[in-house]
Amino acid sequence: MSHTSHSRGRGAGVRLRLLAALTLPLLAAFARDALAVPSFARQTGQDCVACHVGGFGPQLTPYGVKFKLGGFTDSDGKDNKIPLSAMAVGGLTHTAKAQEEAPTDRTGTNNNLVLDQASIFLAGRASEYIGAFMQGTYTGADNKFAMDNADARAVRTLELDGTDLTFGLSLHNTPGMQDPFNTLPVWRFPYVGSSVAPGPAAAPIFDGGLEQHVTGLSAYTFADEHFYAELGSYRSLSPAALDSLGLGRDSYPGKLGSSTSYWRVAFFDDLKKSAFSLGAFGFNAALDPSGDGSSNSDHYRDLGLDAHYQFLGTREHIGTLNASYIREHQGLDASAAAGNADSANGRLNELNLNASYTYDQTWGLTLGRFMIQGSRDAALYADSANGSPDSAGWVLQTDWTPWGKEGSWGSPWANLRVGLQYTAYDRFDGARHNYDGAGHDASDNNTIYAFIWTSF
Amino acid sequence: MNRLFRRGRAPLIAATLLLGGGLAHATGDVQRGADVFATECAECHSVKAGHDKKGPSLFAVLGRKAASNPDFAYSDAMRQSGLTWTEDRLTAYIGAPRKTVPGGKMKYDGLSDAAQLTDLLAFLAAQH
Repeated sequence: MSHTSHSRGRGAGVRLRLLAALTLPLLAAFARDALAVPSFARQTGQDCVACHVGGFGPQLTPYGVKFKLGGFTDSDGKDNKIPLSAMAVGGLTHTAKAQEEAPTDRTGTNNNLVLDQASIFLAGRASEYIGAFMQGTYTGADNKFAMDNADARAVRTLELDGTDLTFGLSLHNTPGMQDPFNTLPVWRFPYVGSSVAPGPAAAPIFDGGLEQHVTGLSAYTFADEHFYAELGSYRSLSPAALDSLGLGRDSYPGKLGSSTSYWRVAFFDDLKKSAFSLGAFGFNAALDPSGDGSSNSDHYRDLGLDAHYQFLGTREHIGTLNASYIREHQGLDASAAAGNADSANGRLNELNLNASYTYDQTWGLTLGRFMIQGSRDAALYADSANGSPDSAGWVLQTDWTPWGKEGSWGSPWANLRVGLQYTAYDRFDGARHNYDGAGHDASDNNTIYAFIWTSF
Repeated sequence: MNRLFRRGRAPLIAATLLLGGGLAHATGDVQRGADVFATECAECHSVKAGHDKKGPSLFAVLGRKAASNPDFAYSDAMRQSGLTWTEDRLTAYIGAPRKTVPGGKMKYDGLSDAAQLTDLLAFLAAQH
């Protein structure tokens, strides 16, 4: 979640008001949206492994994909299920070299033991056709509680000549969070991350730039359990609304233009022993930093391709591959006019690849590669000595998830994942060595994160 | 994966089948059937007695009347089907659920591989 990540948030803080649309992604960092909602398991009567690879969210199995597209409404037919869950994740963060400044007032410059986030969820079905999950999150690093991801859906499935045709509406607060695949930024690997580790400064606006700061409405269809198509639009939340949600007035990114749009198409196939998807998506936004029309707008046009493959077999050995590529075209008229960008035209590309193996729905190993590349701009990327947004690195994670399976102790109430994650940078904010002009190397930010993640 | 399905348990299951006599599906392979069950069915069904998931427990399903588990919320179509789960009926249902019980709520397209169906039936026959 955005406000848990001080890595990018801290780096972005200096220029937060200069380039809101670019700095908000910084808040997203690598502390990805952790999510595990046992109330869904109680609602459906399913084990956690039915919906999640490895028995712990958010990586979805084909069943989980269909449950989400069905609007979180599927159930075992029994009423009186309480749609409440809670989750907490915390851990020890160690960087190769101590950070220049402590990420927050409550933390040190290294070896921080932090409650990264504790969330409560209202998650479940309201009726046969309406379901939702809404998350509120406390972040220990800054001792704040705020609205996190929220997604309310109305869905209807019709059967035509033996073919299911699903129509749905999703009202949500983060672009891309409504997507059912673990390839787009919100739900992709790493599925959990330190809230106090450093992270690259730049990312496309679709990668966390507006998360929790907008209201979006999209309509989608899922035909024949193969073809997914979605079209939506977004509006900004006002500074007052952000303040009331605990996100703070200062995080106001500006006003989104009425032409802001999102589209998505994908082909999905659940072959039982395996599953895969191929897709494309686009996000177009015009952002007026002043919020009152007194300035030009910055324009962003993000185009993406994504794919995933899962070998599921008998579920004893599961292998997954996920890939996404986003190409962003920037028209930074407002930023250039304000002197916050040297050029009004820029581009930013983001590539993410990862592969995982899970044994016995318990032991997991995932390797991910991430690359961010873009045009240089000394004003825009002021923290970089050479004005480059380029960053790249690897994330290796191993984890143990003892429960969440049929017959597990405390199922479906008790859920636990213990993991060790290592992030290694071979390029950080523009360079491998001395990226900030102050002698820091990319590898100084290499991070070990040992975490415990639980939900009930 | 359910411990029951591990390869090491196959001889035990087979022995149970033989000793049980009569209920085993003659030509199916129980262990292969366990794998088919794990792949195709186990997300929604358990073979543990009384353990319902999204679908009802399939413990001792052969010979049982449809919709006879009082703790499970069946569809109206299943309740009114009047079926008894003989091997033939169960084979037909797993092969084409929507045709066998129109209006039923099992979200499964059906298992079309005849050999897998035979193995699955052998496995289900062993669950009693």
